[in-house]
Parts: sequence; structure tokens; C-alpha cells
Amino acid sequence: MLGLALGAGGSLLLAACGGVATTGAGGGGETLRWGWDLPSTWDPVFSSKGWDVHLLSLVYSGLTQLDPKGAAEPALASSWRYSPDGRRLTFTLRRGLRFSDGTPVNAEAVRKSLERGKNHPKSLIASQLTSIDTVRAPDPHTVVLELTEADYQLPALLAGKTGMVVSPAAFGADEARLATRPVGHGPFRLVSYTQNSMASLRRDPGYWNAEHIAVERFEAFPKPDETTALAALQSGRLNVAQIPFSQVKAAREAGFRVQLIPSMVVRVLDVNTAMKPFDDPAVLKALKYAVDRQALLDSEQFGHGEVDHQPFPPGYTGFDPALGAVYRHDPERARALLRKAGYHDGVGVTITTTQPQGAPEQLQAQLNRVGFRARIEVIPEARASQVVYVQHSRALYLDQFAGRESPVQAMQVLFGAEGLMNPSRRTTPELDAAVAAVRRTPLESPRYPEVLRAATAVAVRTMPNVFLYTVPRALARTSSVSPIPSLPVVQRFEGVTAG
Amino acid sequence: MRTLRRAWRPAYAKVALLVLLAIALLAVFGGWLAPHDPLAQNPRNMLRGPGPGHLLGTDYLGRDVLSRLLEGSGRSVAGAVEAVAAAMAVGVPAGLASLWMGRVGEWIAQRAVDALMTLPFTVFAIAVVGALGNGMHQAMLALGVLYAPLFFRMTRAAALSLRHAPYVESAELFGASVGRVLRIHIWSKVLPTVIVTAAHALATCLLVVSSLTFLGVGVQPPAATWGGMLATDLGFLTQQIWAPVFPAALIVITAGALNVLADAVRDAGADELLPGGAPDPAAGAPAATDSPDTTKERADAALPVV
Repeated sequence: MLGLALGAGGSLLLAACGGVATTGAGGGGETLRWGWDLPSTWDPVFSSKGWDVHLLSLVYSGLTQLDPKGAAEPALASSWRYSPDGRRLTFTLRRGLRFSDGTPVNAEAVRKSLERGKNHPKSLIASQLTSIDTVRAPDPHTVVLELTEADYQLPALLAGKTGMVVSPAAFGADEARLATRPVGHGPFRLVSYTQNSMASLRRDPGYWNAEHIAVERFEAFPKPDETTALAALQSGRLNVAQIPFSQVKAAREAGFRVQLIPSMVVRVLDVNTAMKPFDDPAVLKALKYAVDRQALLDSEQFGHGEVDHQPFPPGYTGFDPALGAVYRHDPERARALLRKAGYHDGVGVTITTTQPQGAPEQLQAQLNRVGFRARIEVIPEARASQVVYVQHSRALYLDQFAGRESPVQAMQVLFGAEGLMNPSRRTTPELDAAVAAVRRTPLESPRYPEVLRAATAVAVRTMPNVFLYTVPRALARTSSVSPIPSLPVVQRFEGVTAG
Repeated sequence: MRTLRRAWRPAYAKVALLVLLAIALLAVFGGWLAPHDPLAQNPRNMLRGPGPGHLLGTDYLGRDVLSRLLEGSGRSVAGAVEAVAAAMAVGVPAGLASLWMGRVGEWIAQRAVDALMTLPFTVFAIAVVGALGNGMHQAMLALGVLYAPLFFRMTRAAALSLRHAPYVESAELFGASVGRVLRIHIWSKVLPTVIVTAAHALATCLLVVSSLTFLGVGVQPPAATWGGMLATDLGFLTQQIWAPVFPAALIVITAGALNVLADAVRDAGADELLPGGAPDPAAGAPAATDSPDTTKERADAALPVV
């Protein structure tokens, strides 16, 4: 079986929490009430937020899923194999599975679902599926992907939103209805949903991995406000909640269990090099040296997480240790770069953000210290995607990259010519070649880590994104809830009991 | 003026005025009194309690809380004053002018005001800021527009009974211009009402400016305002449970003093505000009773805007 191999440092992904309770019985548990962001839509093809994947994975499965180390493992598919030239990928499906509407999960359904994601004119995942030429279903239990080029990333890629299989009967009958009534094959079925308020789900006993799903009812609520997260746990409205780092200590003192789950999330500055002042490479370089990542991490996350100059967290296969602190905080150098570029009176820059307090204020002070004249612009969160990702009308945006199942997918989002987080839409032939080499390299090849790290190094040195620090997932739970599995990308709840 | 002189007499009014004087001094000189640079960050010294170096402690970026409170006073008060000034500039002249507009004009003016009063405040403020940019003046302009109906209706209600008073009609028959009638016979009697309304509105605007900052609208970080400090302090309650007390106390004290002063002016001018009381001796007897229109409009004017 192929998978996404992690280096030795990958153990960090497992380090933060203890073992996970499992149950062979399944069902019968109490209700798990989770405070998280409700999805922008329940249709994975149109989902516009990286965070959606967590809730969507409650009602959908892909052909694969990621294990705690980030390697692809079987989900709807029981196994897969590549042809020798890497241009044909054959999945063998589990038998007897059904979608929540009762229709069978078979090869034809998988084919139609993948083709919809690839060909729908409004699909937001189509750019991830370009290496798939055709999808065939030679028999009910076999799906064959004919690829345009060798792409060994697909098993990992299909573990996320990109590979979630939607019932063809549902999108064939009323596609718009999927936005609020998902029809997939997942650990739970959506029973009721009130937008921006609550999603109520029930365990699906027909789920392929149902014996590891212990809670009978799952209720998802919007992420509680920073000031009320602990109160929500204390009152019992939630029994698992994402809490701000400022409240980790208080939560522990209040008797809640707190897990800091290492994730793929990295805080980042999206820089538009098509806009002033970052169309000047000297200004961009000065920006990279002006940022004191450790100070940001200490005050913003109370020291939880790690300083990171790369798109991947330390310990991940794609993390290149040789890069070191490539843009170590060096205000003198930043100041000199600006002076040398002719900016003797400073250079104006606008930091765009949805939440002005904290990191933006600190960043502003750091930039002003070296000769920038920084101001903060606050835009409503609801408009941020449109303004930053669609209109590309902001030069500097304080962002957060949620990570992706496949490192190539992550690089496409961050650096690709169509990448959401590449506002200038500029890339380099050198990086394109490096990413293509990663795609062509089998994951079990001993060269894979080296090739991937080489691509990371090229990206960090040539692309404008300024990576800052990793963001662990801080989950607080009541004592009635058993430990949450430590999974780097999608938060699943196998083995979790509540009550 | 007589009303204002009478308002000064009660002890509680004197206290309120002194408090407001102190706040005004803080607003003007607060920045100079600040012991530290209110924007100077020191992340290694963040969320510290009150102590010798920082009398009110430090915030989430290690900035001196006392300095930020002092420096932010001017911005907080100026915002409220700007909003009320904008509301008065729109509402008072329009309220007085509506009496001379004729039936159609009056009807249109009142429906326009009704329409403004139906707008949800926060949504309107965010829309204005979205259209004109996120800044203090834009937010205050939005606030002023939404408060204008209050001044329109209060002014109109106060002036409506005077408009048909015999001494006003006499003045008009003797050829006095509209401007002279307004200036000599109406404005002096409407002024106490406007002052009471402005004092109440200032107190409310101070709170609204704070809540707007709370929502990220108006004054932008790192500039300090009382409301902004209150909003961010709430995010660190587990570290500094006492921190919101300082900005909240300043807001409460200022709003309270304004309300007390408004009450004093209202009480002092109660007789004069009623058409049956304290007539201008030179102008003959006013109408003995309110017209149904006047009573209704005064009641309507008291409706809250927000």
C-alpha cells in the first residue's frame, strides 16, 4: 500500500496526547457536543473554507483517509495499486456500503462523484484533480483512474475534501439541496441543520468503520467566542471546544482536559507581489527579515506551537531542516535593505486582517521599527475570501494555512498559478519543475523525502509567502469525553466516548 | 440661559459638571499625562498586574494600561461629541424648518425621519463603514445620521406649540421674518430641550462608540479607546479578571455624569419647557394647552433610536 511517508520527526504528530479509547461495541454513547466552525456548505465540491473538511468528514468518506502519521490508509477503498509507469491508479472498493439515501456506494457512484468534482464549472476542487484524465468503473467494485501523468500524490489527495464521495442520486436530483442536506457515506448522518446555529447528527450503523464510532449523537455548534469558550464547557452546552491559547492554563485549572494536537496549520502572510510596495523584491525581502516570529508566537499563542519559516510543520516529511531559520529576525538587515532600495523616508504598507487585535498590532510595530509605515485595515470576515482570494486586491494579508492532505496539493494552494493563497498568481518555472518532480516520485521511494524537501526549499526561497509559526489545535473537553485522536489534518472521532 | 443658571444650583449638578470637567481635561491633556508611550509594546512584560512601573498593569502586548486609558480619552470623547454634533447639525435645523414647510413638506420630512428610525443601527453603521471606509469619522457620521431623527423630533415637538402661540403669530403679523421669529421667539425656548437631548445622546453615543470599537468598526488598533480596551480585555479575563474595570469605570462615570446633568437641566427648565409655564413676558400669553399633534410628537420623540 502506498502512503504519505513521514520522516522520523513525524512522531511529533503523535506526541501531544495519550492513547485513544476504542470500543468494539459501537453506539449507545452519549452526545458529543463540539464547538467548531459550521461549514460554508455541506457540498464538498463547493466548499470554500479549509476548515469545512472537519465537519464534512462526519457525513462523507473518501476512497482513502489519513492515519495519525499523515499516510493514506483505506477508507471506502480497501486497497489500491499503481501501474508500473504511475499513470494508472486502481482502487478496489469495500462491498455492501450505502449512502445515507440508501443508494449503493459502488464504482459507478465513485466515478460520477469524481467526475463532478473534476468537471463541474463551479467546482472549487477541480484544480486539484487535473492529473486525472478519465475515471472508469469496469466492475461495481473497481475504480480506475487514468492519469495524464504519473501522480503518486492521489491516494493522499483523495483523503480530504477533494475525494469525498457524494451520492450521484442526490446531486442528480437536486444539487442545490446538498448545501444543507448532505448525502454521503460517513460515520454520521445529518438529522437537522440550522445555518450558523447547529448541526445535529446521528451515528450511521452502516458506516464502513462503524465499530469504532462510539457516540450515538453528535451536535456541532459554531466555535464559541474567546470569552465564552470555557463558560460553554462549564455550562455543559459543549463538551468539546476549541479554546484560545490564552485559556489553556485556566481550562486545565478548571478541571478540563486540554489537548494541544499538532496540526498542519501554519500562520502566514499572503503577499501580493503584483501590488506596491511588494513589486520591489527588496521590500519583500525586508519584510521577511523584519518579522520577529518568536515574539508573535509568544504573545499570540502563549508559546504554544513552533516558529516556522516553511509551509509545513517541523517533523513533517516536506519540512526541510536544512533551511533552518532562513529568514531569522534581523531588523538591521531589513532596515538596510529598505535604505539600499531607496526608501529613506520609509515605505507605506497596509496590513489587512479580519481581527485587528494582537498579531496585526505587533506586526505593525515590528514593521515600523525597520522603516515601514504600516497601517492596519480591518475587513469583515465574511468578505475576506472575496477580497483576498478572488479579487486579489490586498498587498499583505495576515492569514492562516490549514494544511492539505497532500504536500503537492498544499503547494498548489500556496504557490500555484491558480492557488488561493498566491494572490499575485505568479510562480516560477523552477518551482513548477520541483513540484512536478514530487508528483512523479512514488511515496515509498527512498528519494521521496529529498525531492519533496527540495521543492519546499525552492518555494521558501522564491515565493513571497511569509510563514510565521505553527498553530496546534487546542481542544478542551469535559472529563466525560475520552481523548480525541491526534490527527494532523482532518479531526475524526474514532473511539471517542462521551459520558 | 435662565434654565442653565437654575440647572447649576443643585449639588448633584455641580458634581456632574466637575466630573465632566475632569473628563474634558483628560480628553485634552490625557496624552501628555500618560507616563509611558501608549503604543510601546513589550511582549515580555504582557498581562502584568498593577505595580510600581505600571500603575494599572500592562495589556496583552505589554503596553501600559494607564497610558492607553489617558491617551484614549480624547478619542473616545471626541467620537461621541462628533456623532452628537452631526446629529444636531442635521436634526435641529430640519426639525425647526419642518414647521414652515407646509403640509406636504412636513409629511415628507416626517416620513423620511420615520424611515431613518427603522434602520437597525449596527447594520447601518457597518454598511456606511463598508461604503466609506473603516474610520472614526465615517462611523461617527453614521451614528450622527441615525441620531438626527431624535433631534428632529424633539426640536419639532418643542417648537410646534410655540409656532402657533399668539405672540409668535403677533410677531409675524408685525412683519417679523422667519429667521427673526426663530431666533427671538422660538430658539431660546427650544434650546434647553436640545441641551437635555444632547446630554442624553452624548451618554448614549459614548457607549455606542465603545460598542462599535468592540465590533472593530470606527477607531482602529493600535489606537486606544475605552471601548476598544474593554473589548480586548474581555479576551483575557482568565489572566486579568479586573482589567475591564478601568475602561468600564470611565465609560460609566462619564455617561452617568452626562445623564445627571441632563436631568438637572430638564428639571430646571421643566416649567419653561411646558407651553403653559414661564412665558416670555414680552410676548403675551402662550397657548394654554397642547394641540393633539404636539402631545403625540413629544411622545414619539421620546422613543429610543437604538
